[in-house]
Amino acid sequence: MEELINKIKSNHSLSQEAEDYLYAISSKKYFAKGEVLIRQGQQVQNVYFVTDGCLRSYCYDKNGKEHTLQFAIKNWWISDYIAIHSDESATLTVECLKESEVVKFNAKALEKMYTLFPEYEPFQRKILERHVVSLNKRILNQLQLTATERYALFISQYPEIEQYTHNYHIASYLGITQESLSRIRVENAKH
Amino acid sequence: MKALQIVKYGDIKDSLTFNEVSKPAVQATDVLIEVKAAAINPIDKSIVLGNLQGLLPIPFPSTSAYDVSGIVVEKGDDVSDFEIGDLVYSRVPQEQMGTLAEYVAVTSEAVSKKPGNISFEEAAGLPLAGLTALQSLEFAGIKKNDRILIHAGSGGVGSLAIQYAKAKGAYVYTTTSTGNVEWVKELGADRVIDYKTEDYKTIVKDVDIVYDTLGQEYTSEAFQVVKQGGQVISVVGPLDEDTAHMFGMADYKLPEEIATLSADKEASYKFIFMHPNGSHLAEIKTMVEDEIIKPIVDTIYPFTESITAFTHLETGRAKGKIIIKIN
Repeated sequence: MEELINKIKSNHSLSQEAEDYLYAISSKKYFAKGEVLIRQGQQVQNVYFVTDGCLRSYCYDKNGKEHTLQFAIKNWWISDYIAIHSDESATLTVECLKESEVVKFNAKALEKMYTLFPEYEPFQRKILERHVVSLNKRILNQLQLTATERYALFISQYPEIEQYTHNYHIASYLGITQESLSRIRVENAKH
Repeated sequence: MKALQIVKYGDIKDSLTFNEVSKPAVQATDVLIEVKAAAINPIDKSIVLGNLQGLLPIPFPSTSAYDVSGIVVEKGDDVSDFEIGDLVYSRVPQEQMGTLAEYVAVTSEAVSKKPGNISFEEAAGLPLAGLTALQSLEFAGIKKNDRILIHAGSGGVGSLAIQYAKAKGAYVYTTTSTGNVEWVKELGADRVIDYKTEDYKTIVKDVDIVYDTLGQEYTSEAFQVVKQGGQVISVVGPLDEDTAHMFGMADYKLPEEIATLSADKEASYKFIFMHPNGSHLAEIKTMVEDEIIKPIVDTIYPFTESITAFTHLETGRAKGKIIIKIN
């Protein structure tokens, strides 16, 4: 939590009251590999800031196969934002891929933060901007890059992730089959 | 709910019929699964034909089949490992048989989350064949550099056994017919024997393990190709004495031919009776997700064509599993 506060303070001013409020609405949580933070179909109340570890959000298609929307490593946020903002039950499941440490925030209380402490808003806006940029890039990459290029980009973004993910986690993030992923890796190994 | 039921022993077409039945009751240790897909296996056909009425007698009508994948929609008070909405697969125990239906209640001990990287249809084909292969080869204690003959490499059990044995580092011989040689090779088998053009008994010599999935003369022939002191594991041959005693047949003796062959070779003979087991299914889930094992699907039939699916199974010519998509 200190890390997050320091991160905010490095670029934005934050009053003592705002800092106290952030502490009040958050709690540090540890999760083991495989633990589920949000489950498809359930109500979603929290958003999570990752301080260590790796999490994944995914959904199932009608055939029962998993599709990975996002990986969250240190300093990333993860939740089911569709559920939170549309007031629907979760369409995503969020699980830990390795032992993880997160700061859990009640989503409604965090939203109230902007009205209570307007100085916090620029920080939150930055997070949102980063999130939008990342989503736009993900869509464009999906539309215009080859599978090999998408994999190369993925590995440069998440260099250590292969140590604790299954191949199908990565394949289902890139939108390719496991066979294609294996082929790309073999090709890469030749160069 | 709609269910495909066995109404008598006999011919497939006359003995199976669709009935409207009530949803199964959920006991404290059960989960209720909304069935997405079911698989049929040779045992399902044998039950309908009445070939197993001594060993596994059923009341009429009984809903058919054991393999299932689907979604947990209800759970009993004592179930803590599963949540509503979990995507699961199972080989249901004998007393809960009936996966060719819209819902099936299953003791949670026989259930596991399904592998995330495969569809419901692919997952439905894994439990019975996967548990059989896993429990057989685990019993055999298969290890690196063991040499094993796996009969019927293109079958539901054989195709999974080949992949499991290769993952353990064994050298795998397998038998299949001409049309299947290529894809069975792709599963990793080291030497694929086309039984239509080659005699496996002249190729396979002194193997550590013979895995008999065919029975009849193949069970006795196994002792010709197994090494002195090796193991013959069967899922279709005669029961061994320990297994028979377990089923309450106190006076059972291993048929003399097998007993003599086994003694001459000092080779053990074991019949493996697959038992439903959720933690073994969880192991299979991990192997599928790690790409050690790949399910092989022959045909997917809609629920309404289940009886056609049974007649397909009856031909004994399926490459991998016959799946029925329920909803």
